[in-house]
Amino acid sequence: MTENIKKDIDVKLLAGAILGLGIGLAGLLMGLSSGDKSPFLGWLWGCSFWLSISIGLLMLVMIFRIFNSRWTPVVRRQQEHALAAFPWLAICFAPLLLIALFGGENAGILWSWINPESPTVDGITVANDVLHQKKAGYLNLYFFSIRLIGYFAIFCILSAKLRKYSFSQDYDGDPNWTHKGMKISAFGIPATALALTFGAFDLFMSLEYQWFSTMYGVWFFASGMRSALAVTILGCLYLSQKSFLNGIYKQAHQYDLACLSLAFTVFWAYISFSQYFLIYSANIPEETFWYNIREINPNTGETSAWFWVSMGLIFGHFFFPFLYLLFYKNKINGPRITFIALWILAFHLLDLYWNIIPGREIVPGAYVGYEARPVLGMHLFWGVSSLVGVGCLCARAVLKSFNANESEIIPVRDPRIMESLNHHE
Amino acid sequence: MGKLMDIKYGLAATFNSAKELFDAAGLVREEGYKEWECYTPIPVHGLDAQMGVGRSKVPCFTLLGGITGFCTGMLIVWFMNAYDYPLIVGGKPYFSPIYPFPVFYELTILFAAFGTLFGMFFLNRLPRHNHPVFEHPSFGRTGDDKYMIVIEVEDPKFDDDVTKDFLKSVGGKSITLIREPINS
Repeated sequence: MTENIKKDIDVKLLAGAILGLGIGLAGLLMGLSSGDKSPFLGWLWGCSFWLSISIGLLMLVMIFRIFNSRWTPVVRRQQEHALAAFPWLAICFAPLLLIALFGGENAGILWSWINPESPTVDGITVANDVLHQKKAGYLNLYFFSIRLIGYFAIFCILSAKLRKYSFSQDYDGDPNWTHKGMKISAFGIPATALALTFGAFDLFMSLEYQWFSTMYGVWFFASGMRSALAVTILGCLYLSQKSFLNGIYKQAHQYDLACLSLAFTVFWAYISFSQYFLIYSANIPEETFWYNIREINPNTGETSAWFWVSMGLIFGHFFFPFLYLLFYKNKINGPRITFIALWILAFHLLDLYWNIIPGREIVPGAYVGYEARPVLGMHLFWGVSSLVGVGCLCARAVLKSFNANESEIIPVRDPRIMESLNHHE
Repeated sequence: MGKLMDIKYGLAATFNSAKELFDAAGLVREEGYKEWECYTPIPVHGLDAQMGVGRSKVPCFTLLGGITGFCTGMLIVWFMNAYDYPLIVGGKPYFSPIYPFPVFYELTILFAAFGTLFGMFFLNRLPRHNHPVFEHPSFGRTGDDKYMIVIEVEDPKFDDDVTKDFLKSVGGKSITLIREPINS
């Protein structure tokens, strides 16, 4: 790429980031003054999409490291570039934490449990709700703030270290960098697993703090892995067709990534269904409401628009990609795998939407005291703008890493590089 | 037990390196032989494509097994719980695709695994306890340092002399006719 094109893309991405985040931030400020929750939900949704992809990539890099796998170095280097997005993601999540800390009477606008005075659907306040009292040791603002900072510290430090170890090896060829990479991954995988699990609890599950599911962290992990694999496939295919990975990224790499993609498609379905199944079987009101508001209008019992989103996830996010990826040709053919990778990303976005947006809005006089938030609304507008904004910001950081000349295009002095280059089905 | 006899199985040619075998395999394929096999001490990448062997058909059996398992699971639950002896358990419907899903799912996996295993046995014509190529005096060396191509008599293009000359022309050494002992 010539300098001009690089600069042109950089300017465009910066403009996109400023525009998207500007609208999102304006929304947050408006929401803060009017008490409207939708800009906050939108912001959380937009940021979470990119966060989940980055966490998945971080996990993949560490898994490739710890297994000392032969075929991965070529792919791993591209993923390491993508890890450059973490510090920016931390900045993007900061406004939510700042509002929780310094939002005054609107501190609990997104996570209602933050404000003890927030009304609950049962007509009491959070402070009087036994379901919060029992959890207050965990769900309190101080611990929550420390945790959020801790999660991003883990993500940022691990990704910076992994990048450094990998890039440094390009200069001196010291195999110790590989050992260091494996060691930090041995520590990093459990650390990231804990961070993403409790992160999912804090960011998404606590939106409805009465509800709980031990599967939730695993769901977030599975979603992240699926979308990270989709992004990896798209990125490597693009680089192999348009640029320097031509002839380096082979059909065998493509096939293995697609197989992993199939595996995590099944895994996502397995844990998503398990969560539903346990709640369905136990049939406890504290838990079932979470699914009820995603299927029916709680006041009338009629099927709501969320039902079709749910069905879309079952068939579009599981059955279709599962059956599609079973076929060998669909895994190795460029346009075919591009299609399903984009499909998975689109449905991952819908999956996050389905997890974040529906919620109980207190409506005095309603039969059950609340109404489920509708599928379409201002939250979608705010969400799309922050989605674009955060996406542009992350893409800019990743492109910068690609263009920084800090590293070779593939880890040329990795002990496994020849095996990766000669990888064969 | 009748008298021990033997019939012709095929012509074997040995090669000293993977490259020689690889090139020869391409020529055998181009010549139009169908019933032939390569024996190598190490996996040779790309040999399948060079031989013109397509992908394994085992996945078809896996899929078939999986679908059978899923349908069997549904049928079991429907028959037992909704048709033969309708019973309310835990306030759930007589039949629904949700509460008995673990049954469908487990049977899908079980039957898919059966399909894979038995499909593989079927396609490989297993179990078999002996193979005619073992009659070749130095077949054991294909597990050590020799590469071998065997063209079977079954092949429509097989001809004692023509095939022998052909194997020689593609670089095959010590061309041997393998004879398979049978009880008559």
